Amino acid sequence: MEAAALLEGTAALLPHITVLVTGLVVLVLDLFLPPRGLGQAGSRWATEAVSLVGLALAFACALAQAGDEPRAVFMGMAVVDGLGTFFNAVFVLIAALTVLLSAHYVRREDIRPGEYYALILFATLGFMFVGSSSDLVMMFLAIETFSMATYILAGLLRDTPRSLESAFKYFMLGSFSSAFFLYGIATLYGALGTTNLLALSQAMSAEGTSPLLLMGMGLLIVGLGFKVAVVPFHMWAPDVYEGAPTAVTAFMTAGPKAAAFAALLRVFAQGFGAPAFSEEWVPIFAVLAALTMLLGNIVAIVQQSVKRMLAYSSIAHAGYAFVALVAHNAAGAGSILYYLVAYTFMSLGAFTVLMIVARRDDQRHVFDDYAGLGATNPALAAIMSLFMFALAGFPPTAGFAGKFYVFSAAAQSGYYVLALIGVLTSVISVVYYARVVILMYMHEPDAEAPRIRLAPTSVAALSVTAFGVLYLGIFPGGVMQLAARSVAFLFPG
Amino acid sequence: MIPVPYYLVISAVLFITGAIGVLMRRNALIMLMSLELMLNAVNLSFVAYARMLNDTGGHVIVFLNIAVAAAEAVVGLAILLTIFRNRETVNIDHLNLMRH
Amino acid sequence: MTWPLLSTVVFLPLLGAIVLLALPRRREALMWGWTLGVMLVTFAVSVVLYAAFDSSLPSMQFSEQAAWIGGLGITYHVGIDGISLPLFVLTTLLSPVALLSAWQSIPTKAKEFAVLMLVLETSMLGAFVALDLFLFFIFWEAMLIPMYLMIGMWGGENRLYATVKFILYTMAGSALMLVAILALHILNLQQGGGRSFDLFDFFALDLSLQQQKLLFMAFFLSFAIKVPLFPFHTWLPDAHTEAPTAGSVILAGVLLKMGGYGFIRFCLPLFPAAATAFAPLISVLAVIGILYGALVAMVQPDIKRLVAYSSVSHLGLVMLGIFAGNLAGLQGGILQMVNHGLTTGALFLLVGMIYDRRHTRLIADYGGLWRQMPIFAVFFLVVMFASIGLPGLNGFVGEFLILLGAFEFNRGFAVLAALGMILSAVYMLWMYQRVMYGEVTHEANRGLRDLSAREITLLAPLVLLMFWIGIYPSTFLRPTDAASAHLLEQVRSRAVLAAPVSAALTPRPFPAGEGAVDHAGGQTP
Repeated sequence: MEAAALLEGTAALLPHITVLVTGLVVLVLDLFLPPRGLGQAGSRWATEAVSLVGLALAFACALAQAGDEPRAVFMGMAVVDGLGTFFNAVFVLIAALTVLLSAHYVRREDIRPGEYYALILFATLGFMFVGSSSDLVMMFLAIETFSMATYILAGLLRDTPRSLESAFKYFMLGSFSSAFFLYGIATLYGALGTTNLLALSQAMSAEGTSPLLLMGMGLLIVGLGFKVAVVPFHMWAPDVYEGAPTAVTAFMTAGPKAAAFAALLRVFAQGFGAPAFSEEWVPIFAVLAALTMLLGNIVAIVQQSVKRMLAYSSIAHAGYAFVALVAHNAAGAGSILYYLVAYTFMSLGAFTVLMIVARRDDQRHVFDDYAGLGATNPALAAIMSLFMFALAGFPPTAGFAGKFYVFSAAAQSGYYVLALIGVLTSVISVVYYARVVILMYMHEPDAEAPRIRLAPTSVAALSVTAFGVLYLGIFPGGVMQLAARSVAFLFPG
Repeated sequence: MIPVPYYLVISAVLFITGAIGVLMRRNALIMLMSLELMLNAVNLSFVAYARMLNDTGGHVIVFLNIAVAAAEAVVGLAILLTIFRNRETVNIDHLNLMRH
Repeated sequence: MTWPLLSTVVFLPLLGAIVLLALPRRREALMWGWTLGVMLVTFAVSVVLYAAFDSSLPSMQFSEQAAWIGGLGITYHVGIDGISLPLFVLTTLLSPVALLSAWQSIPTKAKEFAVLMLVLETSMLGAFVALDLFLFFIFWEAMLIPMYLMIGMWGGENRLYATVKFILYTMAGSALMLVAILALHILNLQQGGGRSFDLFDFFALDLSLQQQKLLFMAFFLSFAIKVPLFPFHTWLPDAHTEAPTAGSVILAGVLLKMGGYGFIRFCLPLFPAAATAFAPLISVLAVIGILYGALVAMVQPDIKRLVAYSSVSHLGLVMLGIFAGNLAGLQGGILQMVNHGLTTGALFLLVGMIYDRRHTRLIADYGGLWRQMPIFAVFFLVVMFASIGLPGLNGFVGEFLILLGAFEFNRGFAVLAALGMILSAVYMLWMYQRVMYGEVTHEANRGLRDLSAREITLLAPLVLLMFWIGIYPSTFLRPTDAASAHLLEQVRSRAVLAAPVSAALTPRPFPAGEGAVDHAGGQTP
């Protein structure tokens, strides 16, 4: 490879490289800072500060690429285009919010900050490469990068059996789905002789469908279906989300999910986007979306643990975003991006509250632990209500705007039934989200429960997420326009 | 000379064997091995296709996959080891803390 | 640019709520004072608006339009006409009344209560003036949360059941409406109208009868649950029984009107052919509601439940008027909505007042209150007469107009509705007799305090308005004249446009021409 091309590629991947370097710096910094005693506090602040500064730089780099001409770098392995840039910004935002909300958690549960933040950053690197990959092999490697980082994050509480169980299940089913994804790549490679997404879509248009190709497509659906936790490939998600450390669960509901949707958009909207192929996968996706919305919302009702309830809610929300994928039009692709941003704020915010309420040892997650929170911690309860109503899709919050965009995209493609299932399951979801609000305000607090003191970093995380939820709900136009512009190239004309 | 489809069939059989192993076996170590079997089955597919297409790309992918599989094994074994230290079992039927 | 008067009224309470959040929790008097002040200012501005309203114009006035969400063509479009104006002012009036009623009966979390009341007021006002369907839907849904929290936080013992039922019923209805709104948006796009959610753009849509019927049903369900029309009414008695007094007043006074308003503003003009086709069916449901509500009210042991069922009965009458398809019925329906807001609001206030004293709502626990609380008994008497439609009071005018309209539409319905009104006199008077007359049967009732100055202040404006509307209704009917006539004209002309398709299917199109009532004279007893 020529030096000029290398240089150009490196410049194009500057956001990724910034995150990578930040992760390495954090990892190395941890070696030189005292792990115990007085220096411990300093080492925590240092790693957090370095992470946030690095992420801010990466965000700036990502923004600087907005509006660039789409271009492929590193021999067609990665691309810089609107979709990739938007996702880069989203992933960096998720990582920064996770660092903010984890600061309190890391101190309370006594987690080694170096490895924790480094893993968050490496996982983010993986997400970003998924969003920027234009080759299936590249995408596979990126998925593996973030998956392995999150497996370890899930099992970070080494003395907590639940955390380990969660890590093991996540690892097992994650690797299982990766194998399917890889087999899908192999099959497509065999059918068309390439793994590059653009070359694939050109070759497909030239040759038409073949059984081998459809099999490859099916395997990719299974592989990515597991990653998104879409029904019927969802069974790992509730256990994993429930068992993982709460701060990590927050990260997992936002990051890997958004990355999987980035992969779905790249593979299906871009790679298999032509009408001859979309008519093969769109009906399958429609069924998956309907099942996911129904099952996720109905099973969430009977949960005893708020954390597990939010795990099912996360499945249900993946179903809503899936509806936009089914719409398979420009409005739909744009609304997926919007929905992911909205969900990031809602979910990270809600999990931040969960993390705070869980107290030391991360144990208090059942509904009764929320009883009377409105009396003991009015501000916390009010903000949790905001997130619950947002997740349920009440206006004027981001949750409503997101669903509105998704369903209007579905209606535009004629999927009225899917939109109807969507709104009706949103109604069902009110039952379990409202339960939290009911408990917080309409029950007496536990007598021995002390008032919770909020750490400044948690306050910052809550403020940012709450602001995001309200801002995106009242003025959704700006972000939606950005999203629409980012995906415009997928649906020319 | 063995025709290429033979390799593909073997690969598919190995993949399915591995998948069944992951889903059916109760011993976590054997599940891990089944997982590796699945990945290697795919590698076989890649090599066979590469040969069929006379394309070196497939061979390169196999090397990447071997590296990924190794990393996966490391993470998997590390998690297993910690579980074993905590629980003194690798039978996944005992991993049921979150069934309600 | 002129001062956006309408938005001022709508968003004043919200602004007040934001300021209130910053006030210290301990300074309760300051909080109540501030909230009441904000609501009174809102009311004052809305009266200015009422005075400045030009009742000779049928069109939207004080319109404001601004781009909001560009990508979907959503605008912030508000305006007010003769149909929404009375309800708008009713809302600004009832809000401070409801707040004042809670002054002493809300023991805990006063700050939350005041914030919710203010937010609720903004969302109700917004829903009455929104002319963009997206905007309307946002206000419509936003109303639910404060109401839900209000019942849940300060409600009775069964509040959990009541809140869940309330929110599920209303959400299920609005879910379908959302899909219908999306469908209208897409149809507008397909017919070359571009991206828009504006009501006036949707008026221009060319819809087949089949499309109209589907969309009408989606809107219908949402509004019918809210009204509530029989058989979608079952959430209402539960919600009322459990809600605190202020919640009941707002619920009965304003929230239920949202349903009737929705029918008039959206269902009739958007889907005239379907509205014409479904009018007989809806009238049947309305009549069943009138009779059923009255009969069930008769056997209620609980005063609040009795009033709640009487609401079902009265609102059935309103629906009958709206779907009669003539000016008398429509205007009667609008006026009766205002009347019902005043009288039922006052009834709930009165029930709340004795509940505060005795902590029971069972009729059997009272008796002989006339001697103990004479002022209370007199107020109750007046309000009750207004509710059963005694001439000289507001209820009579509305009911008379509706019956006039209904008679033109279908005599049978009118006769049955009149029967329902007789029944309403029966259950009300019977309840009054058991509560007020006779000997004091329970010692606890002896020596009950009569109404305080605060309580009289609450009731006085409502009772004053009852007499005013009863004696000189044209103050309140005149603003609705032009807008109602215009609406009917709109429905008629477009129902005729759709006639080639619908003629065979609709035996009873809206009768043309007749039915205009001269209420400058006559009318008043």
